[in-house]
Amino acid sequence: MAIIEAIGLTKRFGSVLAVDHLSFEVERGSVVAFLGPNGAGKTTTLRMLLGLVKPDEGTATIRGLAYQDLPQPAHEVGAVLDAAGFYPGRTARSHLRVQAMASRSDPARIDDVLALVDLTDAADRRVAGFSLGMRQRLGLATALLADPEVLILDEPANGLDPEGVRWLRDLLRAMAADGAAVLISSHILAEVAQTADEVVILDHGRLITQSRMGELTAGAALEDVFLDLTSAGRSHGTSLDDDTEVQR
Amino acid sequence: MITLIRVELLKLRTARMTYGLLAAAAGLSALFCTLEAARSGVGKPVAPLYTAAGLNSVITGGVWSLMFAMALGAIMSSGEFRHSTATFTYLVTPRRGRVLAAKATAAACAGMVFGLIGWLIPTGVGLAFVASRGYHVAVTDATMARYAAGHLVAGALLAAVGVGLGALIRSQLAVVIGVFVWSIVIESLVGGLFTSVRPYLPYTAATTLAGTPLGGAAFGAARTVASGAGPLPFAGAAALVAAVAAALALIAARTTVRRDITQ
Repeated sequence: MAIIEAIGLTKRFGSVLAVDHLSFEVERGSVVAFLGPNGAGKTTTLRMLLGLVKPDEGTATIRGLAYQDLPQPAHEVGAVLDAAGFYPGRTARSHLRVQAMASRSDPARIDDVLALVDLTDAADRRVAGFSLGMRQRLGLATALLADPEVLILDEPANGLDPEGVRWLRDLLRAMAADGAAVLISSHILAEVAQTADEVVILDHGRLITQSRMGELTAGAALEDVFLDLTSAGRSHGTSLDDDTEVQR
Repeated sequence: MITLIRVELLKLRTARMTYGLLAAAAGLSALFCTLEAARSGVGKPVAPLYTAAGLNSVITGGVWSLMFAMALGAIMSSGEFRHSTATFTYLVTPRRGRVLAAKATAAACAGMVFGLIGWLIPTGVGLAFVASRGYHVAVTDATMARYAAGHLVAGALLAAVGVGLGALIRSQLAVVIGVFVWSIVIESLVGGLFTSVRPYLPYTAATTLAGTPLGGAAFGAARTVASGAGPLPFAGAAALVAAVAAALALIAARTTVRRDITQ
């Protein structure tokens, strides 16, 4: 059953067609990688799913409802979209206090998620002094605060150290095993290949493919497949082996 | 809605900016009313403190704090875009109009604190000068109470006006500069050139709530009462500033607040 569903999503910014009749879905219990070159429309699509950007056409639903119609959105969907989205003078704990109160989450969860993302020691430091990786961890803590069953993550591994990347991979796999639906955008294709069950690739706002990871790569490296399918690869003259089959 | 208001108040309590603005408002209020009190006396720029006019000049010298209340409101709403926190805010509360209403309400609560400071400090300074010179207090308790109420109401309403401005303009630097330029320069110019409209200018109307004579608000206490139209009655001035706050919020809710959040 599809938990996240995009049907015919289209968005223009002035004369730029950012997303062009994009349709895909994410099922319960799966990690879906959302891939595309820079400017492919990934972030715009994720923001349309989350009600932050209004589509010109099409619908984006989570459990059959538009994001803004979800009764308790933070309890249903956790999202990491922008590492810079913190008031710099506020401490990590204060940020989470604000988010916990706003989402009516149990304040006891604050210490839990701080420990989960390994920020306990930095909990009372101001975010202004955080590294990119620490901000990313705080973003993940915010997303997990209300214990949601859907995660929508835009480049969550940016700035994370190798230990953090492994921790994130294990977390996402564990959540999917518990029935969560995870949609994750990333450029770290080697990591995505280890984490995702399924891949959605878009280019110039259009869907290139939605496939199971194994079916898409058929033994080839995900990076090679990705570069062959997208304009990023074509501009660098990369080609896929002739015997690799792609499900479109 | 109550939860959203509590969230906005928590944001204020956990932001250093709030305390910085409060300190600036308190400092400027103390500075200007002390200067007024020091310059009072027979044949001096400010009437003697044993007169109602002289004491009034000092105890209404905290109007700076009202300007800072408006700036606080503007920063509350524009700051969401400066720091890209609007994303988190709208993810938890996708109904953006409710967020705007909660911000305006929370700003009004905080604005009352600014109003209180703008009344307490000048009143304390004024009464201290009166006592030190052995004068009788020339202003009645009822007038004092009216000034106190006026400062609270004016601080609350101007902070709500600031929220609407910040939601409309969204550039924090531009809106904060705009708040001070409007209050200090534009209203002084427009009110000076067109005295008949002076009572209806929003910042001027708010300061008359706090007891400042028309035309005396921009640089602290008034020394001269301007000619032309008289100040609006208390209820009229409060209604005018409230209407401005509501209109700005409504326009913002129907325009800028609906815009895409792309960063």
